[in-house]
Amino acid sequence: MENNAIMRGDILHKGAEASLIHGFWFGKEVIFKQRTPKKYRIEPIDKQIRLARTLNEARALIKVKNYGLNVPQVFEIDISTSTIVMKYIEGKRLKDLISVFDDDKKNKIFYEIGKFIAKLHQNGHIHGDITTSNIIITSNEEVFLIDFGLHEYSDSIEDKSVDLHLFKRVLISSHGSDFDQCFKAFIKGYLSDYDLISSDEGKYIVKNISSIESRGRYVKQEERK
Amino acid sequence: MEKKEGLCLGIESTAHTWSAGIVDFNGEVHGLVNNVYIPNEGGLHPALVREYHLINFKDTILKALQEAKCSMKDISLIAFSQSPGLGPILRIGALVARLLSQVHEIPIVGVNHCIAHIEIGRLMCNIEDPLTLYVSGGNTIISAYESTRYQIFGETLDISIGNMIDMVARDAGLSHPGGPKIEKLAEKSNNYISLPYVVKGMDLSFSGLYTAARNLIESSEFGIKFELEDVAYSLQETSFSMLTEVTERALAHTKKSEVLLTGGVAANKRLQEMIKNICEDHGTRYEVVPQRFAGDNGVMIAWTGILRFKSEGEFDLSQTNIRPKERMDNISIPWRN
Repeated sequence: MENNAIMRGDILHKGAEASLIHGFWFGKEVIFKQRTPKKYRIEPIDKQIRLARTLNEARALIKVKNYGLNVPQVFEIDISTSTIVMKYIEGKRLKDLISVFDDDKKNKIFYEIGKFIAKLHQNGHIHGDITTSNIIITSNEEVFLIDFGLHEYSDSIEDKSVDLHLFKRVLISSHGSDFDQCFKAFIKGYLSDYDLISSDEGKYIVKNISSIESRGRYVKQEERK
Repeated sequence: MEKKEGLCLGIESTAHTWSAGIVDFNGEVHGLVNNVYIPNEGGLHPALVREYHLINFKDTILKALQEAKCSMKDISLIAFSQSPGLGPILRIGALVARLLSQVHEIPIVGVNHCIAHIEIGRLMCNIEDPLTLYVSGGNTIISAYESTRYQIFGETLDISIGNMIDMVARDAGLSHPGGPKIEKLAEKSNNYISLPYVVKGMDLSFSGLYTAARNLIESSEFGIKFELEDVAYSLQETSFSMLTEVTERALAHTKKSEVLLTGGVAANKRLQEMIKNICEDHGTRYEVVPQRFAGDNGVMIAWTGILRFKSEGEFDLSQTNIRPKERMDNISIPWRN
């Protein structure tokens, strides 16, 4: 294959928002993440959302990469087709691995994820959509976080707690039987990283999760503070 | 009281609809009578709705019995909406159900309103395991069955979609119910005004959208006047796009092969069109609950009561207290195991 070719191959994954296309970009194995137009919504909304999320995601990936965190490297952005060209990460989605993992492995991986998210939060990044589909585990058990389309910048405890709360909800609804163990390990990892910079913020963030839950819909009066 | 196949009387009273439905144990509908409270102005005041229901509940039940050509003697099960809803209104439903149960010595079961919406959809549309988008004046929930529960994958973080549309309609001086009027107005326009689009993961928020729409309607004080049609159009396009995006996200996540649209707002043609569109994209089956059974009704309560009764038997009277704040994902669903 020529070294300067841009080649698109098979569609690896057709998600709700974007298609992931495997291919090569100047000799590098890459993913083309293309946000396809949605027929259901009118053009002004569609255009605005695709443009905003593409730019937002690319910027976030580049920034987060600079902290030494495992996210795909961005090579090229094409606004006209709302496509991001990024490094191909070989691995499996955490969603498909949870049932395969033994207890030790679950503890270890979720501890790692906790530390990862803590690093993001310490630097003022909110992922916005932490789910088990958006975490990739490579064969040597490295944790990669993908899909920064709903990323936001924020330093507030509330926003960080909401981020954790969403992850908690996903674990409960999709992996109910593993929830207790996995979330415990996750929080342990999350707090341990905040301990490194000797900050109490982590504790406040975790504590605030229950406050967010109590503000949710249909929570009994007694459970509210 | 022995278990006997027969008719179930379902009593729905969570908000503005007091409804009695009569269903047999095979799922055939024999009678349904709704009595809907319509406020002269403003929204639903629980105390006023309660008074209205207290005056009308007897007639509604008698009419439903008449429609089904039966009497209380033929009823072998009473189901009532136990949760969630407005406390004072739930209480009348529970009161009437308990009273009838004791006077006529009929077994009683309590039903969660949200689960009833899903179950009647499964019955009416002959659908097995759907991802459900339940949109109404009180709830906005994306739910699917997973590990013994109807799990909530996404929901509104503040007000519901129907509530939001009704409030905008009220601010624009339209009378209750506002939803159909906003839909009519929106059909006349294709001029989009940008409004806030708030999706957090699979959750939604409509309160900011409401404030923005209200500001557009009231903006005459700044010397700019927006046409109500344009506001209605933009409001629908924005909020329905949010709902559809979240539904698609949940669909990709749960990999269900069926989508069910239900609740009062499900009557909206534009929303139906959008949801249908994503279903075609993903090759999933799309069903919308017939309008008679999509809004609040007694039939869904009766049918879900039957399912509960068949798998768990009747409730003890001490279990029939109302639970205005109960979440649907706290309730196990034994009939689907």
